[in-house]
Amino acid sequence: MDHFDTAIALSRVLTSGVIMSIERNDRELPALERLLRKVSGRTQVVLVNSATAGLHSALAGLRLGHGDEVVAPALPDAHRRFLDWLGVRVREDGTPAFAYVSPTPADVDRLGPLLTTTAGAPAVVLDLTGLGFGPAAAVLFDDEDAWRRAERLKIFGTFDLRTMWTQAETDEGVGGVQFNYRLSPLVAACVRMALTTQGARA
Amino acid sequence: MNTDFPKAPLPLPRAEDVTEELAALEGPPVIPAGLRRTLFPVITKEDVFKMLLSTRVDPAKVVADFAEAYREYVGAAHALPTASGTSSLHLALVGAGVRPGDEVVVPAFTFIATAQAVVAAGAIPVFADIEPDTYCLDPAAAERAVTERTRAIMPVHVHGLPADLTALRAVADRHGLALVEDASHAHSATFDGRVAGSLGDAAGQSLMADKNFPVGGEGGIAFFATADAHARAVEYLERHGIDYGMSWIVAAFGASQLERLPYYDEIRARNAARLAEVLGETGLFSAPHVPEGRTHAYNMYRIGLHPDAVGLGDLPVHAVKEVVHELLVAEGVPAREWQNTPIPCHIPFRRREGFGGGYPFSLNPAAARDYAPEDFPVTLSMLSSTLVLCRELRSPVEYERLERYGHAFAKVARRPDAIRKLVGGREFPLPHAKAARLG
Repeated sequence: MDHFDTAIALSRVLTSGVIMSIERNDRELPALERLLRKVSGRTQVVLVNSATAGLHSALAGLRLGHGDEVVAPALPDAHRRFLDWLGVRVREDGTPAFAYVSPTPADVDRLGPLLTTTAGAPAVVLDLTGLGFGPAAAVLFDDEDAWRRAERLKIFGTFDLRTMWTQAETDEGVGGVQFNYRLSPLVAACVRMALTTQGARA
Repeated sequence: MNTDFPKAPLPLPRAEDVTEELAALEGPPVIPAGLRRTLFPVITKEDVFKMLLSTRVDPAKVVADFAEAYREYVGAAHALPTASGTSSLHLALVGAGVRPGDEVVVPAFTFIATAQAVVAAGAIPVFADIEPDTYCLDPAAAERAVTERTRAIMPVHVHGLPADLTALRAVADRHGLALVEDASHAHSATFDGRVAGSLGDAAGQSLMADKNFPVGGEGGIAFFATADAHARAVEYLERHGIDYGMSWIVAAFGASQLERLPYYDEIRARNAARLAEVLGETGLFSAPHVPEGRTHAYNMYRIGLHPDAVGLGDLPVHAVKEVVHELLVAEGVPAREWQNTPIPCHIPFRRREGFGGGYPFSLNPAAARDYAPEDFPVTLSMLSSTLVLCRELRSPVEYERLERYGHAFAKVARRPDAIRKLVGGREFPLPHAKAARLG
């Protein structure tokens, strides 16, 4: 992705005036979600503001938390330390509970095939930080309930701040710790530009 | 082109706006539908230009330069830019020495992130009531909540008014506790001439784009009074592999916004003062109270209701509030409740699942209490008797829009007869009896 493409993406979003993730009129986050659904073939996407937020969201989606064990895929050492901080013990044997993909700019042309290798994993943590726009990640699911739990973790249990600000007793996934793991629309716009201009369209 | 440039100007206000029939009763609204959108943040050519320049700069330098410029503006000793206000509060607590199982005293009225940041730090939030005039943490209530396991007090400069830091510092010193500011609403707010964020042992602050000082979407910053506290937070991130980093794109926008922050602060203060004049003449409404020696940043503007002043003192104040809220919205004023339930009564602090299996509440069961709304009578009273404006005082709110807001409050206050009629015959549950609202 060259500087002109970045400049166009940033200028476009700034001109729209919508730079907040909780803005009802935001189009950038839904557009990146759509692209990632298309590229991955997964039905559900959660966008977050870092790879560690992605790991946390994936585990929340899979109902794994403090005191649980997980078979994790090969991860950088820092990510292992993060799982330890969450209180999740990592086991080496068995089938990983989730997949982890960390593309570089050189990989965007083959993101589709890269994600094909994750088929069957209940969740995929897609670390988008390597694309160069700051910490960013997506978590891919096929399970709507898993997606809902992950989405709630990232916005204080509210599921969708754009339309709903209340928490009800019947809502699953609102009883624990909650974070702000929201991704900025400006970052999402640049990530999408990087993926679309370099060919990861299918 | 998808642009935020207004499609049509708002007509100048007219004196008869105030005397016409209420919009809820089929009269004309003070602010016509289609002209109600309030734009924020103000995005200018300077923001675009600076953003484009930043694409040629080392990303780490863009973030570091932004953090240093804002640290200097605030007057804090050390700064650590983050991805959100919540993460900044988490790191402020860690830097201040909060450890798993500790207790941290926080106000019962705040955004839920204040208390969730305590949980993120592995500590247990212990809730105390607020003051009736400032809505900030009551120092006496905070002191009553202190136990042997308390490590810190974290007041919130709620809506942009600094808490009573003199009294809270005295409490902290008496008990050997850290004082950590939640300055997420209080950009440029001052206490005894010092800027919020520079007064505690540490501070956290949201910089999300809905705050008075916006970065490019989502962001935050932690401040520390000592190099040791800063180093403790940095080491914690490394040791636990936590990525709370701020994007350079987010920082670049903040850098250009910072240059215009004093201008926007002045506009907001002017608008707040003008609206206070108008509200003061209505009887029904009152403006926020600002104690001497403090400046209010007015991230939000909480308006008090006084039914007795217009002959409605026999009605439940929360019923009057709900009807007035409906009338204002019908006039085109986007007034809000901004919360209806004390934070300790929100689901995460009733279920206390934490990170899973009840951690970290399980580390200190004595601190993991079941709170009832009635434990916080001042908070309940405020929630029943106030309404909030959020973006409505911020630049670029035009003079004619501000005047029209004033006209709408005056118009509603002139009609106690209509308020009484609308209250009659309806059931009005107390605010906290409804599903908990975050904002």
